[in-house]
Amino acid sequence: MNYKSNKFSTDNPTNILLTKFLKINWVIVLCVVFLGFIGVAALYSAAGGNWNPWAKSHLTRLIIGVVLMFIITFIHPKFFYKLTLISFLLGLLSLVFVKFFGVGSVQRWITIGGLNVQPSELMKFALILMLARYFDQLSKINFNRLFSYVIPILYIIIPGLIVISQPDLGTGLTIIILGFAILFYVGVSLKFVFIFLLTFISSVPIIWQQLYDYQKNRILVFLNPEIDSLGSGYQIIQSKIAIGSGGLFGKGYLLGSQSRLNYLPEKHTDFIFTLISEELGFFGAMTIILIFCLLITSIVKISFTVDTLFSKVIVFGVGLLIFLYLTLNIGMVCGLLPVVGAPLPLISYGGTSLFTILISVGVVLSINVHKNEA
Amino acid sequence: MKNNNQKILEQTLTRRFFFLSFLKTLVVGSISWRFFDLQIVENQKYKKLSNQNQFNYFIIPPERGRILDRKMRLLAGNMDSFSLVLNWSESVDVKALIYKISQIIYIDKKDLDRFYSSLHEKKNNNPKEILITRNLSQRDIAKLAVRNVEFPEITFSMSKKRVYPQGKIVGHITGYTGVFSKLDKLDGKVVAVPGLDVGKRGLEKFFDTELRGKFGRKRNEVTSRGHVIDTQIYEKTSSGEDIQVSLDMSLQAFAMQRLEMGNYNLTSIQNKGIKNQIKFNENISYINNNFVYTNQANKIVNPHSGSVIVMDVENGQLLCCVSSPGFNPNMFSNGLSDNEWSVLKNNTRSPLLNRSMSGVYPPGSTIKMAVALAALESGIINYKTKFSCTGVKEFGTSNFHCWAKNGHGSLNLMQAIEQSCDVFFYELGLKVGIDKIAVMMKKLGLGQYYNIETDEKTKGVVPNIKWKLQRDGVNWTYGETLNASIGQGYILTTPLQLVTMVSRIANSKYAINPSLIKNNNNKEFNNLDINQEHLNFIKKSMEEVVLGKKGTAKKYKIGSKKVEMAGKTGTVQVVRITEEEREKGLIKNEDRPWKKRDHALFVGYAPISKPKYAISVVVEHGGSGSSVAAPIARDVFKNLFKI
Repeated sequence: MNYKSNKFSTDNPTNILLTKFLKINWVIVLCVVFLGFIGVAALYSAAGGNWNPWAKSHLTRLIIGVVLMFIITFIHPKFFYKLTLISFLLGLLSLVFVKFFGVGSVQRWITIGGLNVQPSELMKFALILMLARYFDQLSKINFNRLFSYVIPILYIIIPGLIVISQPDLGTGLTIIILGFAILFYVGVSLKFVFIFLLTFISSVPIIWQQLYDYQKNRILVFLNPEIDSLGSGYQIIQSKIAIGSGGLFGKGYLLGSQSRLNYLPEKHTDFIFTLISEELGFFGAMTIILIFCLLITSIVKISFTVDTLFSKVIVFGVGLLIFLYLTLNIGMVCGLLPVVGAPLPLISYGGTSLFTILISVGVVLSINVHKNEA
Repeated sequence: MKNNNQKILEQTLTRRFFFLSFLKTLVVGSISWRFFDLQIVENQKYKKLSNQNQFNYFIIPPERGRILDRKMRLLAGNMDSFSLVLNWSESVDVKALIYKISQIIYIDKKDLDRFYSSLHEKKNNNPKEILITRNLSQRDIAKLAVRNVEFPEITFSMSKKRVYPQGKIVGHITGYTGVFSKLDKLDGKVVAVPGLDVGKRGLEKFFDTELRGKFGRKRNEVTSRGHVIDTQIYEKTSSGEDIQVSLDMSLQAFAMQRLEMGNYNLTSIQNKGIKNQIKFNENISYINNNFVYTNQANKIVNPHSGSVIVMDVENGQLLCCVSSPGFNPNMFSNGLSDNEWSVLKNNTRSPLLNRSMSGVYPPGSTIKMAVALAALESGIINYKTKFSCTGVKEFGTSNFHCWAKNGHGSLNLMQAIEQSCDVFFYELGLKVGIDKIAVMMKKLGLGQYYNIETDEKTKGVVPNIKWKLQRDGVNWTYGETLNASIGQGYILTTPLQLVTMVSRIANSKYAINPSLIKNNNNKEFNNLDINQEHLNFIKKSMEEVVLGKKGTAKKYKIGSKKVEMAGKTGTVQVVRITEEEREKGLIKNEDRPWKKRDHALFVGYAPISKPKYAISVVVEHGGSGSSVAAPIARDVFKNLFKI
């Protein structure tokens, strides 16, 4: 069963729109919008109680992004299926392009019409689409043959390695973990799972050698932040101080001394959750984590109600993507993971990750809306 | 078949879904646990660290108490002073900043030197406040404030600067304060307080705790780059206590000037002969900028150095305590440069030495009252016992001379004191023995520390047989007794001890101890424990020194009906005179090099009817006690009694 056999409905357009509108999963929408507004509020605080330079622009992007999300919601998933290959190829192309014509000291961004775009973020969703498309014909794939894994692994490894070489270890690893988790989800035989794991563990020394000095340093500092308490360990030490000093209910909105006095690095991007934890405390931090959990659960739950594997993989993949964003970021700010540069979805300042999430959620909503139209 | 496959697939997906969800739950769970640990369990620790980030804590120095004289004249006080402080952080280009500031205001070189040395002293690269200068004027402030925008890194602060309006006349007594250094301890522990002055010498040091007052505390809220954005005072300061000393500054000033002048003449520098001398001489001490001291030969001379102390014989309070040359304590509160320090340190007249309390001199003939009292108390002689003086006492292989070459003839004790006959006291010393003399000297306050309000004290030396044996391992000789009987040889006293000795004799009842503080009436003194009659006889003899026809100080009577003084002169030989020199004829004191001239001493009290004040005058290498020291004592008494 696949979308090639689907037909468009012939009902009257207004009726269709209304039906679709009623079928939208409003829990997901509410979670997304709520988290987006948390982001606006946090960025307002990060600027010392100022709409500029981040909060206003985040709000604008949020509004545009949510509108885009709704537009996507009304588009039939069949359309995404058709776009899969081209979007993946475009993603790869822009990654290569960024490698040679990128902006900044590390090549992560390209400029399109005055906007800085980070193709590696978009690549995550393109990969989900690509893998979903590949496994759509799962019945034809024999998981007991090693050859069956070559193509999906290439889908994963090629963008992953390009991103790592940018160098952006965090995003690259996210792509690779995301890809392999999807492989695992669709039913890779356990034999091969163990083979992969063994290969990965034995290749750790080789990967270590390929890393840039600053990346090695970050991992070493992660293992013991005190070795460089004024350099790269500084971020994590100050972040822990900020989180820890927040206590149960925090220091109060706009009153976080660590962020207000500039002890927090990158407080508007990667360390935004530190600011929230400092100002709103354990209570606030847990509330936000719970809302994320609600969002992720609501998304992945859809996978049980859809028929096509294409849809299942996308829904599961998007849930996983948000989960990975969340845990990498929060694990990093509290010192459980090395500082790898991962934004907090919907809250961190940065257009590309925001749009990636909103588009992904839009596609998930679309799949949910259109699920019984086969 | 297809349906079956589909079913298996669905099962796999569901199993894998739940397995991955389980993993996700574990991850979220461990992150939540981590936040619980950081925010709830270790909250206090991180709160403290965050607090340390947010605030820099400071101690606010309180306003230091004043030092006042007995008539409430200010000896040490505080003046507003404006400081320029650099909020240093790594990003500050110090050189360029200092250059820009010095284009606008003048910064003293020694301030700059100190600034750079404290800049280089810093241990780490954390931002901190470094003092640039404490000597800004109102004008400087105005000039800088106008261009404040250009220098966000500098701030002004108003602080207090210690001032000593009396200058050098009382520098040794007040002492001075200095910036707290690591060597100093406050209440047993070392704390760093920017701009805190602590007493380094004299009363400032002795009463440091009382003068200092209570610290306040403040905290500055600072950004990670060290910019101060807020200041909160959460503990107020309380000022230190004022200290009232017993000194009378008008007497002190007069005594200082009188001592330095001695018998010299005050000559204007407009004088022709003087102008020529100034051309060829670099180190001239000017008096009030327009005068110099000259001797009989009209040569420019240095002011006399020495000590004048006046003490109340009833309560031991010092009314004047002069040590010359003095130093100006204001030099220290302005920040002493290395150059100024080395000038003070290398001055051959040692201006930093407090001669009154730490200078030791052989007492010379001023000791004769003690020797006489020892003899009277031991009953060896009575008032009528006579000895004959031929000008020399032959003893063993040596000759011991009297200052009067031809001798005094036969005289009794009172006459011997009046004329200061040395041979009489040689005989007396031999009869009494050094140990009994030493006991009497100690009774009169020599050879000991007093409980006086200063750290600068010297014990001096009161020798006896045991002391010699312990120090040199050699037996005491009678020749040494002869020397000690006229206050030469081993015996050393401070001017403070001499005035205390006279005070005790004048008081006759109590063993008075000296004090610099006015309100110490509750101080109790021990009984002197010397026969009253003997003391009266000694006092009568001291009166004769001034009033008698042959008295050594007869030229220097006060001459008032109400007040007259009694006393004793002393001329201390500094170098040994050989027999050959004596035969050739003594070289006149003024013709010897300064260092080899005699010390001139005078001790005394007034009024004779009812003793109230005691005095000791020491003029270093000043000549004879009767011609140099006695007139100084007379004039100081005249000033004191307003005659």
